[in-house]
Amino acid sequence: MAAAGEIALSTKALVAGYEPDLPIVRGVDFLVAKGELVAILGPNGAGKSTFVKAIAGLVPIHSGRAALGSFDMTAVPAHEKMHHGLSFVPQTENIFATLSINDNLLLAADILPKRRRKHRVDDLYAMFPDLAARPSLRAGQLSGGQRQMLAVARALVVEPSVLILDEPSAGLSPKIVTEVFSRLKAINEAGVAIILVEQNVKAALAIADRALILVEGRVRHEGSAATLADDPIVAELYLGARREREVQP
Amino acid sequence: MNPQIVMDGLFTGSMIGLGAIGVTLTYSILRFANFAHGEFISWGAYFALAMAGALGALSGALLTPIGPFSFGWALPLGAVAATALTGGLALLVDWLLFGRLRVNRSTVIIMVMASFGAALTLRSLLEFIFTSKPVYYTKALQIALPLGGGIRATPDQLLSLGVAAVLVVAVHLLLTRTAIGRSMRAVSENPALAGVVGIEVRKVIRTVWLLGAGLAAIAGISAGLIVQIRPQMGLDLLLPLFAAAILGGIGSVPGAMLAGLIVGLAEALAVQTIGAEWRAAAAFAILVLVLLFRPQGLFGRAE
Repeated sequence: MAAAGEIALSTKALVAGYEPDLPIVRGVDFLVAKGELVAILGPNGAGKSTFVKAIAGLVPIHSGRAALGSFDMTAVPAHEKMHHGLSFVPQTENIFATLSINDNLLLAADILPKRRRKHRVDDLYAMFPDLAARPSLRAGQLSGGQRQMLAVARALVVEPSVLILDEPSAGLSPKIVTEVFSRLKAINEAGVAIILVEQNVKAALAIADRALILVEGRVRHEGSAATLADDPIVAELYLGARREREVQP
Repeated sequence: MNPQIVMDGLFTGSMIGLGAIGVTLTYSILRFANFAHGEFISWGAYFALAMAGALGALSGALLTPIGPFSFGWALPLGAVAATALTGGLALLVDWLLFGRLRVNRSTVIIMVMASFGAALTLRSLLEFIFTSKPVYYTKALQIALPLGGGIRATPDQLLSLGVAAVLVVAVHLLLTRTAIGRSMRAVSENPALAGVVGIEVRKVIRTVWLLGAGLAAIAGISAGLIVQIRPQMGLDLLLPLFAAAILGGIGSVPGAMLAGLIVGLAEALAVQTIGAEWRAAAAFAILVLVLLFRPQGLFGRAE
């Protein structure tokens, strides 16, 4: 555990999976400090997505504990977590394609007091001017990068203390990934703790404060992003350095 | 061709349309074809009969016809209570049956089969309580008013059409302009994501049952007012309801209403041109043609 400062989110011995007798996440201890950006990395099938889905309430937690600050949210259903300040952006199908941009944002704003809804959506339009240009456009007509931005904007409507993103770079061009990640860094610098599950290790470590590497549902390595990026063993075993070396002349 | 078939078709179509809205909402949000939906039409009609009868027994003045209509205040008041009771019945069926199957993650075919079972049970219960003998809200005769172009309609028929039109607009506005409507559309598209963005899916499901069953009750009351009340009336409307829901495009409220009118007009045309025994065949032909050539319906989007 390398986190310092006040705790935004934590898990203790978390065991989770779709079937009770088949755990995918096997006893993960994890801490994120307020305002920290933590990347969760690891090979395919390591349980990264299952881990964050369990925190978000989409995968059953079999044992252990997940807490938002000091609030135990292990048994809190998915739809209530946003009320407590936890927002989750899934990897795929993370917007309502048949609804307009505005309706996507209003859906999240509906849990706010009535007088704050419009004001908060306007704030988000100011933060994401691309979305403000055509609020009545069907979200399904947006490009991949714009969809990701809409999903992030919707997650921010409730001013979460913790934002979890499951592979936000999936399916995006390198240029758009850079744009999305610089936006995520700006959101983090504004005080939102971010948990970032990523396959794009280089991009994730470039913006993360800290990273942990999951292998077969367990934490195998943990440290500052800079340390992990420079660790040759970690890079070779889990971050694809060997493959990168092989393909480079 | 007798122009009266247009009016006959519109009356039948408005009842089919109201019922089809419930079918299309259930199908798009709960993701199964509810074959018990027709029974909510029958139960709505009988609830209104029972409530109007009780109110009439309490005060005979409530049975005095209102203006040009054939019924007194007992029926509109009974209709309001019947709408709420039918919504409650739908919630009870969901709590006893469909909700438990959802928790067990039952497949669509299990849900559909369960709905057949629910339909049989509800219909048998209705026959047990009220017998299968046809009954009427009123036996007062009404003179059809000439509307021009050789078309005539009774005040009761015009009222039914007006109520259906107002309800369709209201439901459309509810779905497109309100928070619960947004939530319903979101759950229809992606229930898991809806949960993630803070929507309580169970609340949306309860709303769908209340709304669908309430509209079915009003369709049943209209049918009872214009034709007669029988335990089989919902079953008879079931095929046209599904034809309209599919023709309109699953999930589309204006589509369900427009398609209901089309199915109603087709049935009236079939009765006039081929014979009354072919009425059901018109709805079936529409259903088959839509499934073959435009399975997404008039207002649905191709997958």
